[in-house]
Amino acid sequence: MRCGFVQSKLLMTSTLLLVALCPVGVRADDEKRELTFDKDILPIFRTRCIRCHAGVEPKAGLNLTSPSSLLTGGDSGAALRIRAAEFSLLYEKISSGKMPPVGQKVTAEEKGLIRKWINEGASGVSNAAVVDRSDDVTVVEHWSFHPPVRPDVPQVVQTDRVKNPIDAFVLQQLEEHHLTMAPAADRQTLLRRATFDLTGLPPSPEDVEEFTNSIDSDRYERLIEDLLANEHYGERWGRHWLDVTGYTESAGILNEDRDLPLAWRYRDYVIRAFNSDKPYDRFLQEQIAGDELTDYWTAFESDDQLSDEVVEGIVATGFLRTAADPSRPDFKTIKNAASQYFYPTLFDTLQIVCSSTMGLTVQCARCHSHKFDAITQVDYYRMQAVFMGAYRPDAWVPQMNRRLPIASKKQKEAATKRNAEVDVNLKKLKSELAALKTTFTTRLFDDRLNGLPEQIREDVKAAFAAKAETRTKVQMYLAEKFEQTLRPKAKELDTALAEYSDYKKQTADLNAKVTAEEGRRKSFDEVRALYDLPGAITTPVLLRGDALTPGPLVEPGVISTLQTPQKFQWKAPSTEAKTTGRRLAFARWLTQPNHPLTARVMVNRIWMHHFRTGIVDTPDDFGVSGSPPSHPELLDWLASEFVRSGWSVKHMHRLILTSSTWRQRSRVSTEHRATCEQVDPENRLLWRQTMRRLEAEAVRDAFLAVSGTLNPQLFGVSQAVARQKNGEVIVPGGADQNRRSIYIKIKRLTPETLLQVFDQPTMSVNCTQRGMSTVSTQALALLNGDTITRAATAFAERVISEQSDDPVERAVLTAFGRPTTKDEHDLLTQFFETQKAQYEGETAEADRGKPESLAAAEKKARGDLCHMLMSSNEFVYLD
Amino acid sequence: MNPFQPLSRRQSLQRFGSGFGGLALGTLLSDAIVADQPQTTASAHFQPRANAVIQLYMHGGPSHMDLLDPKPLLNRFDGTTPPDEVADDEKRTKNLMGSPFQFRRCGESGLEFSEIQPFVSQHADDIAVIRSMFSEHRNHEQAIWMAQTGMTTEGRPTLGAWTAYGLGTENRNLPAFVALPDPGGPSVDGLRNWSSGWLPPHYQGTVFHEQGSPVLNLQPKQPRSRAIEDARARLLRQLNDRHLAQRPGELELEARIDTFELAGRMQLAATDALDLSQETEATQKMYGLDDPTTKSYGTRCLMARRLIERGVRFVSLFMAGQPWDTHTNNNEGTKKCCQRTDKPIGALMTDLKRSGLLDSTLVLWGGEFGRTPAAEQRNAKTPFGRDHHPYGFSMWMAGGGIKGGQHYGATDDFGYRAVENRTQTANLHATILQLLGMDHETLTWHHNGRDERLTDVYDARVIEELLL
Repeated sequence: MRCGFVQSKLLMTSTLLLVALCPVGVRADDEKRELTFDKDILPIFRTRCIRCHAGVEPKAGLNLTSPSSLLTGGDSGAALRIRAAEFSLLYEKISSGKMPPVGQKVTAEEKGLIRKWINEGASGVSNAAVVDRSDDVTVVEHWSFHPPVRPDVPQVVQTDRVKNPIDAFVLQQLEEHHLTMAPAADRQTLLRRATFDLTGLPPSPEDVEEFTNSIDSDRYERLIEDLLANEHYGERWGRHWLDVTGYTESAGILNEDRDLPLAWRYRDYVIRAFNSDKPYDRFLQEQIAGDELTDYWTAFESDDQLSDEVVEGIVATGFLRTAADPSRPDFKTIKNAASQYFYPTLFDTLQIVCSSTMGLTVQCARCHSHKFDAITQVDYYRMQAVFMGAYRPDAWVPQMNRRLPIASKKQKEAATKRNAEVDVNLKKLKSELAALKTTFTTRLFDDRLNGLPEQIREDVKAAFAAKAETRTKVQMYLAEKFEQTLRPKAKELDTALAEYSDYKKQTADLNAKVTAEEGRRKSFDEVRALYDLPGAITTPVLLRGDALTPGPLVEPGVISTLQTPQKFQWKAPSTEAKTTGRRLAFARWLTQPNHPLTARVMVNRIWMHHFRTGIVDTPDDFGVSGSPPSHPELLDWLASEFVRSGWSVKHMHRLILTSSTWRQRSRVSTEHRATCEQVDPENRLLWRQTMRRLEAEAVRDAFLAVSGTLNPQLFGVSQAVARQKNGEVIVPGGADQNRRSIYIKIKRLTPETLLQVFDQPTMSVNCTQRGMSTVSTQALALLNGDTITRAATAFAERVISEQSDDPVERAVLTAFGRPTTKDEHDLLTQFFETQKAQYEGETAEADRGKPESLAAAEKKARGDLCHMLMSSNEFVYLD
Repeated sequence: MNPFQPLSRRQSLQRFGSGFGGLALGTLLSDAIVADQPQTTASAHFQPRANAVIQLYMHGGPSHMDLLDPKPLLNRFDGTTPPDEVADDEKRTKNLMGSPFQFRRCGESGLEFSEIQPFVSQHADDIAVIRSMFSEHRNHEQAIWMAQTGMTTEGRPTLGAWTAYGLGTENRNLPAFVALPDPGGPSVDGLRNWSSGWLPPHYQGTVFHEQGSPVLNLQPKQPRSRAIEDARARLLRQLNDRHLAQRPGELELEARIDTFELAGRMQLAATDALDLSQETEATQKMYGLDDPTTKSYGTRCLMARRLIERGVRFVSLFMAGQPWDTHTNNNEGTKKCCQRTDKPIGALMTDLKRSGLLDSTLVLWGGEFGRTPAAEQRNAKTPFGRDHHPYGFSMWMAGGGIKGGQHYGATDDFGYRAVENRTQTANLHATILQLLGMDHETLTWHHNGRDERLTDVYDARVIEELLL
């Protein structure tokens, strides 16, 4: 192997262009003048390119003589991208020497001009006039694009299993296939399943005992009512909703992963909405247009203070603020920040809105229409126009500045006035304090000077009186020597002054006034909201989804292939209007009773969380490429029932949880299973209930609940997380360490480890359906993780204190929600005894047999027992 | 040496059924993934040239004209105003700045390296340098996503995750994709560097640590005796067996029981894999473990070799922060990075070659972009640096079916813009997948109503010129 120096010989590839050897500096007058298409660029094209790229049939479809055709481009797409020469086809072809293929090449100077012209904004080039609509599909026959029609409830043979219409629809299909439902599950199973389904927590041992022993005929129905009224219900179902909204508490997407300190208010709004069973149509309207719906601006301008309703309205718009938005004020200096940072937030927002509310995948249409797809590119940008009033890439407001105070204009003005007074008063008080200090500092100087030996006193005085630069050597010496004594600084001065009781008292008085004055200062809590920005709004179709190749402008609209009884209705407001009404018009269109998708998508989602799989098993895709419903009539009946009930989510839970369908066992006989699996291996016909693993939050919350350490406090600022040295992200210790998982701060780059391992989604946009993985990292987190180990120790202490005569019995009842069986009890007892003996055997010989070491061994053994119960399949699975 | 009998690709195919769907099942310690059935239906795949990848990710964007892309003209016009054609369009940099480093022709091939890479350059004949890379973003994070996930949008799966998904692991006791972060601190963009994005979490990189417990929670914080540990495991197994017996046919429950068994086996396998004391002193020295400057990176390089040896598919090595981000004092900063990494990487290459593993192991070196040919100076007191530069930069590949001793593509005379054989990231990714036996167009995952792929909508071309 040899390594030699390359000295004078240059290694050049054959096609490498040698540009002008003498770099040409740009002349000063050129620097100031903006390059234009007509003056600077067209002449170059004329001499070099026009032979092919002009006329009626230009080569490759690209006409270089008209600036408006440059964005539309030719057969290979846009010829240029505004302000991005480096990524423009035109510049690529020219700079690499590929174009022109024959004749005189473009000179280095000309290349420089073209590059500069493009990077300065391609003056003279206007938006592309047309957009390619050749792939548009305007009529699509697809079941979900037509409004649901309430079907008749079918007649079935097994009428004894029909508790409500759900069962009739399910039985109808089962009977068609000569199948039957599985028997109803036992009470303990139902209690555990219902409690987790509705609250995300296990039933307490007392609940289990009472419910099992109750002889009331309506005890089950009462259970469902109690659970729906339980305040933890909102935490469970709010969490499901937060998944589809893409909620996090960090701005993303950059490494700094900035905190969103106000985001939690929206989380609390969602929890409250579920707890109060806010009608779903209202819920959506508030989230999309809460400011417009409650007339925020009028309230702001004319009311004394904002009503609760208005505040709720603006908090709800947090829904439209979940998309990653890393913008900061300094982003305005970034070239093409709109296309690189601002538009992506708008894209994500539209994706979140459409997938969460309509179960539609719209993002494909951002770039172009697809044959067979019902959403055209133009429709996509019409919907984007709905949100353009607020999210304006051309007039972007950095994310941290998009917030509204919880205050009316009057309150704000009063506060401003008051705060101005406070400022004046404070200034006065502070100058009084300063004056006081000066007076006493002088006095201190004099007093201390007088304390000096008489023979030097006058000399020192003279030294300090003289200006620093006129001091004699002796004076300099004296000034330096006595500086500390006569003119102490900072803390020493304060200590010295405090010796004067007058000073002490007067400053204390003044400081008290300062504190009182500071207390008068008025500030308001703030909301991370979405609201329209002032100014003219334009929404261009972006050719190929690229903000650097804008096309024709569009007005607000919706997906035209959706068959809604009421059309989207919007009129441009007057130019003085504070808000455009675009979002409210969209929300009203979306929540009309017979919208083909809104109710169907939501009842499907509710169904999915009760059965693991939705009636449509692609909850995010009700479109042409999604799956057809397993029970189309049931889906439509549920959708119409949902609307009829006043969009009551709790009504849907009630129906589902009291149905025979939901109450089926998941553990079925081998015969039943064999018969049914032959026809329907995936249980789409619902011949049994499906086993389900608890979601991440429910796993952690259940650990805390059974250990008795769960802090049930609702609402408020989220619990911070911390990354440990080994990379694990935990909730640090302290009183709030054990709050429910929904209150743990969700940071995009530091997700809490236990939750992450159990599939809490990593939010890049949103999550419409969680994955459920079964991996060894979960086993490791359960065997050796911090949270479970702490919880297991507490659990062990809890069972011994609650049932000292039979802690094993208590542990099983608490962990699994059922009494223990005889041989299981034996197994656990034996484990406990062996483990205890082993721990005892492992203690130092000197301590062995002592009561405290026996107690420690017992505690550890019981901790192990509880730990294994919590790690077991029965704990994390619902029957 | 290897206590585990790794399955060959062919054996894996036979064992797990035909095609990728079956293969991907063998992934990350669990061959019974029930809830997330792999979806890929790729049937047309190629004879693989490599079965493992070591990615030496260089956070910050190494300066191509100081390392791999000699620019004599840039040196000649050092200190002059750049011509319009290569002037900084954002006006963040000043005059042109030549490289102070001498370039040498190395090996039989004469491939050029700057003098600050004395060890890596000894492998010139095995290395192919791509000098015509370009990226689409000037900011680190987005450019990192481009390099690692194929697009400048956040949240997509990394190359390692795609590999794990497509190929699974050859050693069922170790993950398919291992990330080796710097104990000195997280790299820019943190855990997204080994994220599985919307692919199931099985495919994300498992972090192995140099110090302490190699894998999170591999051992309890309070040590337990063997007897205690065994009794716990036995009880858990008994509880789970009883539970399963009452629920015959529930595959998920069985799979979950397996994960606990596998966790136990991983304790042995991971501990063994990372036990560097099994290496001779000479080897340790070769990797620079005896020198504080090279110790950390050398340790990760040696760990990488041991993991690859044991059947791990994809190992990514990272450095804390973004050391190649030389905004100030580019020359010193670039040199320092080389001092930390050059010797260990050279040793890794030597070691892989010696054991024959280089033939089947693809080594990737590079960052998210290059650096500007013009000088950057934010503060008059600091020495010149270079700014981020996505329009043209270099990376290198070696082993695993790569034709070494060549450079591919070229930037213009100043190293500003890739002009010859311009190489978009998608081409690089398609080439890597092809070397691993996968077709970038058929390795897909259905997500949000779309069949997603690493190369997304890019018209990607496998760079045949780089292949043996």
